[in-house]
Amino acid sequence: MNKKPIATELRLAIVLVPLMAALTILSPRFLTLDNLTNVIWSVCFIGILSSGAIYPRITGGIDLSLGSMAALSGIVVDLFMNRMGIAWIPAILMTVVIGALVGLFNGFIVAKIKIPAFVVTMAAKTYLYGIALVVSQGAMLAILEPKPFILISTGRFLGLPNPIYIMVALVIASQFLLRRTAFGRQVMAVGSNEVAARLSGVDPDRVRLISYTISGGTSAVGGVILASLTQQVFAAAASGIELDVMTALVIGGTSAVGGRGSVVGALIGAIMVAFIINGLNLLNVPNLYQPIAIGTVIILALLLNEGYLVPKRRTLSRA
Amino acid sequence: MSSNGNGADLLLECRSITKSYSGHVVLDGVDFSIRRGEVHALVGENGAGKSTLIKIITGATGRDSGEMVYDGTVVPMDHQRRDAEALGIAVIFQELSLIPGMTVAQNIFLGKEPLRPLTRLIDVRRMNSQAQELIDRYEFPLKPTDIIDDISIAQRQLVEILKALSGKASLMIMDEPTSSLTKTEVEMLFKIIALLKSEGISVLYISHRMEEVYALSDRVTVLRDGRLVKVLDKGEISPEEIIRLMIGHKLEEKAVQHELSPKGGAVVLEVRGLTSLGKFEDLSFDLHEGEVLGIGGLVGSGRTELVRALYGADPYDAGTIRFLGTEWIPSVKKSIENGIGFIPEERRLQGILATQSITRNIGIPNLDRIAPRGIVNVKEEDRRAARGIEMLNVKPPRPEQLVGNLSGGNQQKVVLAKWLVRDLKLIFIDEPTVGIDIGAKEEIYEHIRALSARGVSVILVSSDLPELTRLSDRVIVLRRGRFFREFRECVLTGEKILRAASGIREGDDE
Amino acid sequence: MSHHAVRRLILIGLMLALSALITLINPVFLTAGNLLKLLQEAAQTGIIAVGFTFVMITAGIDMSIGGVVAVTSMVCINFLHYTKVPIPILVFLSLFVGALTGLVNGFFITRFKLPEFIVTLATRSILSGLALVIAVKDSMGFVQNVYIQNDAYLWFGTSGLFGIYRTTMAFVILGVGAQIFLKNTRTGTNIYATGANPGAARLTGIDTDRTVIGVYMFSGICASLAAVFISSRMMTAMPELGLGSEMDVIASVVIGGTAFSGGVGDVWGTMLGSLFLALIKNGILKTGISPWIQPIAIGGIIVVTVIVDVWQKRLREHLEARAKLKRLSAERGRDAA
Repeated sequence: MNKKPIATELRLAIVLVPLMAALTILSPRFLTLDNLTNVIWSVCFIGILSSGAIYPRITGGIDLSLGSMAALSGIVVDLFMNRMGIAWIPAILMTVVIGALVGLFNGFIVAKIKIPAFVVTMAAKTYLYGIALVVSQGAMLAILEPKPFILISTGRFLGLPNPIYIMVALVIASQFLLRRTAFGRQVMAVGSNEVAARLSGVDPDRVRLISYTISGGTSAVGGVILASLTQQVFAAAASGIELDVMTALVIGGTSAVGGRGSVVGALIGAIMVAFIINGLNLLNVPNLYQPIAIGTVIILALLLNEGYLVPKRRTLSRA
Repeated sequence: MSSNGNGADLLLECRSITKSYSGHVVLDGVDFSIRRGEVHALVGENGAGKSTLIKIITGATGRDSGEMVYDGTVVPMDHQRRDAEALGIAVIFQELSLIPGMTVAQNIFLGKEPLRPLTRLIDVRRMNSQAQELIDRYEFPLKPTDIIDDISIAQRQLVEILKALSGKASLMIMDEPTSSLTKTEVEMLFKIIALLKSEGISVLYISHRMEEVYALSDRVTVLRDGRLVKVLDKGEISPEEIIRLMIGHKLEEKAVQHELSPKGGAVVLEVRGLTSLGKFEDLSFDLHEGEVLGIGGLVGSGRTELVRALYGADPYDAGTIRFLGTEWIPSVKKSIENGIGFIPEERRLQGILATQSITRNIGIPNLDRIAPRGIVNVKEEDRRAARGIEMLNVKPPRPEQLVGNLSGGNQQKVVLAKWLVRDLKLIFIDEPTVGIDIGAKEEIYEHIRALSARGVSVILVSSDLPELTRLSDRVIVLRRGRFFREFRECVLTGEKILRAASGIREGDDE
Repeated sequence: MSHHAVRRLILIGLMLALSALITLINPVFLTAGNLLKLLQEAAQTGIIAVGFTFVMITAGIDMSIGGVVAVTSMVCINFLHYTKVPIPILVFLSLFVGALTGLVNGFFITRFKLPEFIVTLATRSILSGLALVIAVKDSMGFVQNVYIQNDAYLWFGTSGLFGIYRTTMAFVILGVGAQIFLKNTRTGTNIYATGANPGAARLTGIDTDRTVIGVYMFSGICASLAAVFISSRMMTAMPELGLGSEMDVIASVVIGGTAFSGGVGDVWGTMLGSLFLALIKNGILKTGISPWIQPIAIGGIIVVTVIVDVWQKRLREHLEARAKLKRLSAERGRDAA
């Protein structure tokens, strides 16, 4: 095989084991199926979003509109199914396409007009929220129909909740895209050295366009799953999820500078974040401490990534 | 041998300056001195040690050993930029030291703006009038309220000079100041240098342009391979003599010379009247199959711009290109698809994906072969990488090694490898061996020769004269973006190339 | 006329036109009462935006401002609820919160070269949690809604001369002071230099690290100051106060003409931008348009403004470059002849 990065993912996975052991010791309730299901849901959602959001990240940009897009997608799919009478499968497909198109729009502004990604996607986060408000009329809508749609998230297959399979499928697909396709190679190249990539025949604009489109699409998928699970949609759903996704990505080894990243790593990062939060819950640490924990974790992860704190073999000198 | 003045009128005196970078000796016991109120030129090829000497004088880097005395004060070993400035040593950068969005006056007084006595606010009026005083004194075509973004490069240089003068500089160091100037602007610069001299300010002038050195200098110091060759006095200065000293060889070596015998054969590339405004103009030539065409010229003569345009990396404004007989508007993608390769001038910035493995680096322009339908054939990718590593003898031969961790020579081998694993018809190579050890250099030369023998055409841009001399079948020399001279069917030496690059016209002699 | 001035005139013109339009639809808009409220709204966001402008000029970004507002307001509530600390000291302590946050932000950004965006997002997260932690809670642990009764503290939120709110006065004073500082002191020049060309700035002896830390501290202090005024006016504060104000602040600064690339912009622009934003928000309310349009409008305005700015900058550069090349090649032609 031609990969060192397996080592990163392995290293991360190995960290999970003592983490789980510690949590089990600290609270015997940790390892119950009941508790783990809660964790699993959170991991699924963040995992699905991360599998797409990693692309803009590797190219050196970012997608901050994930949460708003997910919320809007839930509202839109409900609109299609329950107010326009469209069958649930086409409704979902259309919703994902809309998500992809919004992503494409963002990508266009970033790639062709060359506006910094965080401005574009942060503004998108805002106006998508507004659009979600308008479409939902500011209300929290309950989704009780159609039954197959609800089963997407609440149903089980072989004992495990469906979302797990969806998430795993997306993660595998995304990891494959990143590691085994020409496009994936180009994404890494653009993130590593855009000038050199261009001279080697890569079109960075096109790569970015596609990256943001993917991110928009996965946000929509996540939103649909969320709607199916909670059976309610509202404009402020999934607000703030961007931070969790970013944490997962950073822990998973996606470099802040670009050119390095792993979807599986992000997944493991998501698991770690979920464990930490769940662990804090179980230990009866009040919810309020969670954002503090997340914030600290991000900074620690960043420092580790860039080679501070722990002397790791540095790839480049700080020149 | 050298003519140093007596102690009293020496502004700067350096004795036995030695400096090494990671074991590689860059300056070897160099003596150097500048008199008060003189224009002193420092010449030498790339790698001769000029920039290192300047860095040591300006405090940007420290010397390993040797003494330095400036204006009677002994300069300590831990001499910093701030100390140099305080002593009165000023450096004119091209554009690095000016702040866009600010006015001329603001830039001149950056960090030392005149303040109003009570409020400690910047006294803009006094700042502008003081700037105006300086401008008037030297009769510069500037206004204190001009914004840096709006003025020409020549004018920006003037602002740099004023900035230095406002700091009471006694030594003005200018590094290749004329490479972006028009003739009229160069003349103005000369007048200014004369003015500075008349005020007792010394000027240290670094340039490749012989006619300028000849016109301006009171004395010239020639460096070669980190050593002082000679200091020429006014009467001894001539472009030919300087070149001879710059190039001259150690007694043990023979001069690098090469009997040129150009190849005939099919015309691979036909260029007619190629022009890119501001970069190069009206260039025409043919490239034959298997030929190594060397492009010589000084920095700024348009060589890199030419090959980038031919490869499709930059657009051009006029002219035609025919590739293998068909009319051709190049783009990077088209070039790669059709068997054209490109090795860029700056390896770190443009050539390598430092955070990626050797395999990925070699693979990236080969995606059309490795992933014909979008999915990467890992076996094929690994095969190419292995082939590339083996062919180029990359060390360490580990495909998953991150290229950023390799030595310069091995990095360049990877850059070369990614093209050599393809079916090439033509490859552009821009400065292939900068900062690379001798061993790797020779290996790369072998590959270039092998390419040529296989029928692959090579366009080679290089400032390394022995390299250009040895490898080329034919050499064309550019000067200020225009065609100056072609060398074919003669005995070529590096000296001849440099003389042509410097604008010295002469016949085809032996 | 410089394009900055043109831009500003267009902005003012737009504001006048919009005001006219809104008044036509609902004359209540143009009453003193409404306008004074509008100005106060502008001031609340504007005070934060002034500090944010400094950070943007150095080509940085401070996403933690919302968190600073939240924590500062909680600190004030705590002191007001549990102690009898004199108000001036309380205010000083509040500003200290912002300064400390800025110091931490600046430290991680300069010392470890971590990306500004992510670092300040992380500190925001930590601060939002801290706000919850220190919030005054009742016996069951739920966050309590504390009503501020301290008159001296409430003074900040009241109106003064001509009915102008003290928040607005503070905004104007801060704005004027900041602008003078930015344009007329050495440190102000250093801030521009650090943003426009940090390499050159360093060569000239400017300590860019210290400058960066300084602007982040100023940004934090401004956010804290705003928190005092906001909580005073509302006479209460919840731990979420300020979280979510980021877009408004960014919108104000962007509309005002400060670019993310650094080196350009000033406080006048930001003040105009804050005014413009408050106008839009107030207008949406007064004309009966659905309040949900607001986020769409703000997000949309940001995108449009940034795109327009980039386009016209590129257009200018393109035209200049062509002119320069023509000149250069003409001269070279003469030289060679």
